[in-house]
Amino acid sequence: MWKRLLFIRGTELVALALLASIPLAVDNSYVLGLLTLLAIYGILLIGLDVTVGYLGQVNLAQAAFLGLGAYAAGLSVSLLGFGIFGALAVSLLVGLVLGGLLAFPALRLEGPQFALATLSFSALSVTVLNEWESLTGGAQGLHVTRPDLFGLHLKAQGFYWLCLILLALVWMAMRNLLSSQWGRAFEALRDSPIATDAMGVGTFRHKVAGFALGSGLGGLAGGLYAFNFEYLQPQTYVYDLMVILLLGVVLGGRKSLWGAFVGASLIALLPNLLSNWLMFEVISAIGLLVALAAGVRGLMKKTTKPFQAIAPVIAMGLLVGGGFLVENTENWRKAIFALMLFAVVVGLPEGLMGFASRFLAQLFRIDPPALPAPAELNTVLAAKAANGEALLELRDLKRYFGGVKAVDGVSMTVRAGQVHGLIGPNGSGKSTAVNVISGLYAPTAGEVLLHGRALPQGSLFKVARVGVSRTFQNLQLFGELTALDNVMVALKGVYRSPLPLVLLGFARGEEKRAQAESLALLELVDLKDQARTRAKDLTYGAQRFLEIARALARKPDLLILDEPAAGLAHPDVNNLVEIIKRIRQCGITIVLIEHHMDVVSELCDAVTVLDGGRVIAEGTPDEVKRDPKVIEAYLGVVSEAEAPGAIPSPA
Amino acid sequence: MESIIIAQMAVSGAFMGLVYALIAYGFQLTYATSKSINFGQGELVMFSAFFSLTLINVGLPYWLVVPGGLLFGAVLGLFVERAGVRLALEQKSEGWILLTIIIGLFGFSAAENIWGRDDRPFPTPISSDSFQVFGVSITPLEISVAIGVLAVMGLIELFKRKTLLGKAFEAVSADRDAAELMGVSATRTIMLSYGLSGMVAAMAGILVSPITTVGPTMASALILKAFAVAVVAGLDSGFGVVLIGLFLGALESLASFYIGSGWREAPGLILLILALAVRPNGVFGKASIRKV
Amino acid sequence: MKKTLIATLLLGLFAAPSFAADAIKIAITGPFSGGSAPMGTSMRDGAKLAISEINAAGGISVGGKKMKIEVVERDDEGKNERGALIGQELASMGDLSGVIGTVNTGVVLAGDKHLQEKGITKIITPAAGSASMTQWSKAGVKDLSIFRFSANDGIQSAMVIEEAIDRKFTKVAILHDATNYGVSGRDDLLEQIKKQGNKLQVVATEKYNIGDKDMTAQLLRAKAGGAQAILLWGIGPEMAALANGMAKMGMKEPLIGGWTLSMSNFIDNAGKSGDGALMPQTFIEEPITPKAKSFIDGYHKAYGVSRMASPMSAAQGYDAVYIFAAAVKQAQSDDTHKIKEALEDLKEPVKGVIATWVHPFTKWDPANEQTHEAFRREQVVMGMVKDGRVVFANEAEKQRLIKSATEVKKGK
Repeated sequence: MWKRLLFIRGTELVALALLASIPLAVDNSYVLGLLTLLAIYGILLIGLDVTVGYLGQVNLAQAAFLGLGAYAAGLSVSLLGFGIFGALAVSLLVGLVLGGLLAFPALRLEGPQFALATLSFSALSVTVLNEWESLTGGAQGLHVTRPDLFGLHLKAQGFYWLCLILLALVWMAMRNLLSSQWGRAFEALRDSPIATDAMGVGTFRHKVAGFALGSGLGGLAGGLYAFNFEYLQPQTYVYDLMVILLLGVVLGGRKSLWGAFVGASLIALLPNLLSNWLMFEVISAIGLLVALAAGVRGLMKKTTKPFQAIAPVIAMGLLVGGGFLVENTENWRKAIFALMLFAVVVGLPEGLMGFASRFLAQLFRIDPPALPAPAELNTVLAAKAANGEALLELRDLKRYFGGVKAVDGVSMTVRAGQVHGLIGPNGSGKSTAVNVISGLYAPTAGEVLLHGRALPQGSLFKVARVGVSRTFQNLQLFGELTALDNVMVALKGVYRSPLPLVLLGFARGEEKRAQAESLALLELVDLKDQARTRAKDLTYGAQRFLEIARALARKPDLLILDEPAAGLAHPDVNNLVEIIKRIRQCGITIVLIEHHMDVVSELCDAVTVLDGGRVIAEGTPDEVKRDPKVIEAYLGVVSEAEAPGAIPSPA
Repeated sequence: MESIIIAQMAVSGAFMGLVYALIAYGFQLTYATSKSINFGQGELVMFSAFFSLTLINVGLPYWLVVPGGLLFGAVLGLFVERAGVRLALEQKSEGWILLTIIIGLFGFSAAENIWGRDDRPFPTPISSDSFQVFGVSITPLEISVAIGVLAVMGLIELFKRKTLLGKAFEAVSADRDAAELMGVSATRTIMLSYGLSGMVAAMAGILVSPITTVGPTMASALILKAFAVAVVAGLDSGFGVVLIGLFLGALESLASFYIGSGWREAPGLILLILALAVRPNGVFGKASIRKV
Repeated sequence: MKKTLIATLLLGLFAAPSFAADAIKIAITGPFSGGSAPMGTSMRDGAKLAISEINAAGGISVGGKKMKIEVVERDDEGKNERGALIGQELASMGDLSGVIGTVNTGVVLAGDKHLQEKGITKIITPAAGSASMTQWSKAGVKDLSIFRFSANDGIQSAMVIEEAIDRKFTKVAILHDATNYGVSGRDDLLEQIKKQGNKLQVVATEKYNIGDKDMTAQLLRAKAGGAQAILLWGIGPEMAALANGMAKMGMKEPLIGGWTLSMSNFIDNAGKSGDGALMPQTFIEEPITPKAKSFIDGYHKAYGVSRMASPMSAAQGYDAVYIFAAAVKQAQSDDTHKIKEALEDLKEPVKGVIATWVHPFTKWDPANEQTHEAFRREQVVMGMVKDGRVVFANEAEKQRLIKSATEVKKGK
């Protein structure tokens, strides 16, 4: 524990002290210029990492926010007479606000569409900076004077320290934020927006906040950029820079402050490293060796595909060989950058720091921070009244897709404290009904009531907030997060600190409580020992159970389990039954969609059978099993000879 | 005079709009099969144009240069698919966005060093002497662009509908998993779509070069607008891109005349953002249902 | 001692290895890549040609010792940010005698302040807009180490307007690119029209962006206004697109513009449409004097070309090196401050390929930028594009140059 803290904080402090003391040891304006740029890019890339790393979206707008922030700072000095902190605050604000605005249209978008939206925004910003001549001076550029700091004129050295202090502050604030519920929510959003909504964590709020925050840091970096170069032109912030910034984040390593810092150093120093041929050859030869070693190791352990092993070696080989053929390596700067990146993206997807941090953690045997003891389960899931009153009611619920009547007038009542089975052959409308209840689809007609009050319609998020929680037939886990984090994301009623306190690092107490409660839930599904395993690395059965624990973290009145036994091996099915029994003991009402009749028989107090979007039978498991309509629905024809209760249970 | 100016601006813009439409059509081809597009497509246009120029300079006759250029474009498309897209698709990640950008960056730098950083004229046997139609001047070169764009798109559509391979293409586009179950290889079909997309991009390069000259940055403006056309029309809208291309071409041309030429790019970009905000599937695209 | 040790270590990380001690170290900077590359590379090659000539002759004798010139090359890519970093790097080198180069005004504005801070002598060539010098006069700098060796935009725009008036035009359109260079060119032209008696009516002022290929909108405006000539301020590729657009629309009005109309990327891309374009030139690639002939032949041979990408950039780079070398010789030192003082008061005329430079610079006076400007109206001639080359537009000017060259010879 102490070793870890000492090591990590110590490295940060030593690095900061080193960086801060270089100007004392060396009187060289060029070195100082590069270091200043490094600090500015550091802030810029930490901001970019929020969208690229945590939100997982390719963001091509950061260069534009750099430019907008720079102009905002410059103009607030020349037009409004602001001081240096006032101007920097303005540039931060401009980034926050414009980033938030851009996030609105970009909100519904994923992958390529998001990239395109940000790309257009950048191009549009440059156009506006260029054309709004009366304000920005257009292509003529804008001269900016660095304002005094409390009446003190900042020379290059002083300004560098200012940049460094801001970098350190941003670093601390972002570390606090990203290791809190906010950071987890960002990552959850990346891995599964649907599950994020279904777990009551607003995708809307977090996506806007994450993007605004990243853009705000871009704006802040822009303000520093303006006061560093003291001369701005719109053309500086074009596509070229965008790509290089993006690549800086990826090269350094996503989701890592150190990664952003390493990426910033690379893009600040690379042009200089390349101008020296020998240095270039040495670096690319090291790269080739690393690629070879990693490739061979990956192939032997069978963790990588052949392409992943071979492509980086070819790329780095081209680099080494090309160095001998090409007269002036500097002319090929972009191609060299591209080759290095290609090798990293394909062969080392975690980036340089992702790779290095794993390696260092092993080397110094640094354990992850200890976890608290699990909380008492009954404090986490407070007992609910299992009084048999109607908890959930469906009244003539309909949902059509075009001409397809997936759910066609379903009415049913689920009583508090019961396990209510919802069964039916494939395509009978079970999943659609559940999707309508949980808010994924809006109903075409009909009502859904919880506690006698209408449930919100067509919003997973709103339904989740009033006490309905669900799992998914096709797993929707947050794959990159650990099992513990998956549960912590969804945890209700713990995170209360407002954002400023989180940034200042005052949310650690509730973080501990969240861990303790989440561990109790993991214990409930027998996953406590795998709390630190990433969800995507768990076995299939464990993933199913983890989804249940995550859904429980909502502390729901109603839990909907959508085919939890699908694809489970026999021993796991038995465990599942045990787990569901435990949950029922806590007084939580359960709607269980299931194919396995033996599971249904063992657990359910009541069963509703659907076929063709309509209810064909209702009653206890034994009653429905004998219902001829049910048998017909499952087997097609009713045969006199066949024994009742012969509903097949697909494996 | 004023109405003639409007007509002239709209017509010359619309011809450029057809080129945007052609590149956008290339995006559609790959999006249909794999839900991915080549973010380095602009560089592919440029690289193929430079290659065709080299063929001309070597002394090849024009009727050989065009197929040569198209073949080269197809090979580049296949390369992009192999090096940049396949792995990411297998891993179901969006790594292809970055990788195609990176491959584009490499292509850009390589072109700069192989062919130089200057813009160069692209000779063509088709005349650029204008003639007047109702007071609007049009050049045979522009007509050739229109014919070329429509011919390529028509041929590919014909191919998709009439040949077995083309039907496999349609099958994978409609439902990848079902097509695989029926014995259609999705991987091969995606390769095919990237090859075709590369060819389409090469065609766009060859058509537009005599008008705009060939240079490493020739496609950077083109590609933004091709993106806009593709998204506004919808990435699965088929011939919708032609309508949107014509519209956007004319619109930006008029905007540059009435608002100022610095704003030329603006209408396309604003439309793109609006379309993404209001109709992410485009004007002609189909809405999709979220599934879990 | 310790400090220098750390400094050396750090510099080893950041910069290229150091040079031999008894050499004069000159940095050549400019856009060797990107849109302005033809100017940057021609200037660099012209300058390096001069340096190799000087070195082949044994170097410059300083304090009884022959010192050779060594070159540090830096590509600013035409980007301001690179310009600033290169400025900082050069300013911190310590043993640098001087800097020659740059094209883009933005790069100069971002980078030169670092050189001026350390008092490092720089000769701006082949170009850079007016702001590159006015920034110092506006700031009221007392002692300036930055010199400009290029026909400034004022001279050029005056000549363009003169030419238009001489040709009896009354209505003109001004088209310019949206860069710093283009916009300040537009302002210079408008000012010159006023200065020369408002004889020209400007019927359209239109802007375009770098990379634009379709100029129909701008040309239609010019045509609608009835312009008799198109005055241009921009760089090669876009001006070629304009010339081609005019041909397409059947417009035959002459193009008159800044010296960039002589760039190869204009001439090549415009082809036939570019013929007849007029622009001020400091050097025409015609062997009209023996000196010019030897320069042109030397350049063609050294770089294996039959035509210079930007002849005047090459010639200016070449002459700038000779002027710098003369200053080193006069100062008898490789100290950049002493060289600056010598430059401000060159005793010997310097025979260059553009002209024989007699006392090109004088002591800096913030009230008069001309003190650090070498070019005057008489060193600039009008050039014209003809069959893919730039030739003298007026035979009289050609004869004047031949005559002045022979006169200097006789005078010696």
